Amino acid sequence: MICEECNEREATIKFAEMTDGELTSWNLCEECAREKGAAASLSSYAGPLVNILMGLLEEAEEHGPEPSGPVCPRCGLSYAEFRSSGKLGCAVCYASFHGELKPLLRRIHGTTEHTGGVPSCREREFDSLKEVKRLQSELGRAIRNEEYERAAELRDRVRAKERELASTAGTDAPGTAGGDGSGEDVDVRDDDA
Amino acid sequence: MWTFETMMHEPPGWVSAAGPRSDVILSTRVRLARNLEGSSFPNRATDEELVAIRERVLSAMAGSNYLTNALFIRMEEASPATKRVLVERHLASPDFADGGAGRATVVGEKEVVSAMVNEEDHLRLQSIRSGLQPVDAGRLVQRIDCELERNLHYAFASDWGYLTACPTNVGTGIRVSVLAHLLGLARGGRIAQVLGSVSKLGLSVRGFHGEGSAALGGFFQISNQTTLGQSEEDIAYTVERVAGQLAGLELGAREELGRKHGRRLSDEVHRAYDVLSNARMISAEEVMEKASTLRLGVALGLIDEVDLGSVNRLLVVTQPGHLMYVHGGEPTEAQRNGARADLVRNELKSCE
Repeated sequence: MICEECNEREATIKFAEMTDGELTSWNLCEECAREKGAAASLSSYAGPLVNILMGLLEEAEEHGPEPSGPVCPRCGLSYAEFRSSGKLGCAVCYASFHGELKPLLRRIHGTTEHTGGVPSCREREFDSLKEVKRLQSELGRAIRNEEYERAAELRDRVRAKERELASTAGTDAPGTAGGDGSGEDVDVRDDDA
Repeated sequence: MWTFETMMHEPPGWVSAAGPRSDVILSTRVRLARNLEGSSFPNRATDEELVAIRERVLSAMAGSNYLTNALFIRMEEASPATKRVLVERHLASPDFADGGAGRATVVGEKEVVSAMVNEEDHLRLQSIRSGLQPVDAGRLVQRIDCELERNLHYAFASDWGYLTACPTNVGTGIRVSVLAHLLGLARGGRIAQVLGSVSKLGLSVRGFHGEGSAALGGFFQISNQTTLGQSEEDIAYTVERVAGQLAGLELGAREELGRKHGRRLSDEVHRAYDVLSNARMISAEEVMEKASTLRLGVALGLIDEVDLGSVNRLLVVTQPGHLMYVHGGEPTEAQRNGARADLVRNELKSCE
């Protein structure tokens, strides 16, 4: 067997990466294995994750939207460019490609909701946002159950919280920028799903 | 005093083998990916922007209580040998080391804490520790991150967390990985099965196996695959727990190997020691192979001339970039192999 890296020497070693129970392997000669060995076996920089991401992006392309897709107004990166490089151009890209990225994140991470740490300067805002989401889903439930008085009360509380948020929030929260109106609908639907 | 010279001549702190489960786990690494709000990610920033970002990040790091005495290495000022040493110590990635303007590597005392500025993200903050310590290492980087965040405004979205250049890192931006020496399982032929089950737990595994794998030492790396939807602590804890179980399986496999093939194994271990302590020319792969066997022997108590720390040390300081740094200039392969053999002999002599 010939080495899959240099296509010259005899392959004697198998390099393997395993993710999700799936094994990807390459047959390599000792020389290439040595190179990969220093770079891969003892380090985590090169990426099996990048390969997986590229796979997902190709998959998404098959039933994706129009070829060029949206463009980030801040850095000028198009979604098509992201698809070929796997890298976003700036934090605002996350808002610019929100609709495209959401299903992708779900496939990579199995979820689209951050539950880890929060910068301390954003903690209050983050807590308020969570509270808004909670109230919104409660509101949805009240409407479905035809509890209109409670729904009206919840709606007022949501509005009050949102006003409070708008006055305390930083000038730009990339993931939520421009999504204040439509975000609510998406979130309510998410809760129902 | 921690200086650039000491960093280049002393091996990193984690080689000490003082951490928990060091007989199987060489090291734990935890890194956080962060970006500054309002700036393009490195892949889309101009050289001027990169330099400005770097200086902002470095000045925030200079004020950190955890980074007193840290070395700030602006990559355009680093020599080729320095860059290779940084790569071989896992303080810089290869592309980053060879990259253009506006990049920096920060190295804290004994390399416990380090950072890459303007690699794929504006900041990659990491801690490398001896043995199995994901939870502790995770806490440390988070504490430093909290401190830095007072002076750096990070790109963060309430739904998707910390925003990173690659969506595979978004959310917590945390990558927790351990480097495990699984020669017992590899020899016993159970490695594929064991690693297969590990990878089904949402962790990713990388390394060599199959024919000729002994030549590459049976070293495997286990790390978390997803970064969104779990807390940093949960991710670190999962890696710690799974790697701990893996270490248990490895110890079982080693014991079995010792029980069934004790004499043969002992012979192999002593031969490996003899080659290392007597060779006058030796390649990097041969050091890795023999050091791996020797490591197994030390862990099983088959040989007492050396300790685990010395074997770890060998694996680090015999790499080509390290020899290049010590030798100066661009040594030929034969010169490198000669210098490497001298170095190995000296290292082993000093533990007797």
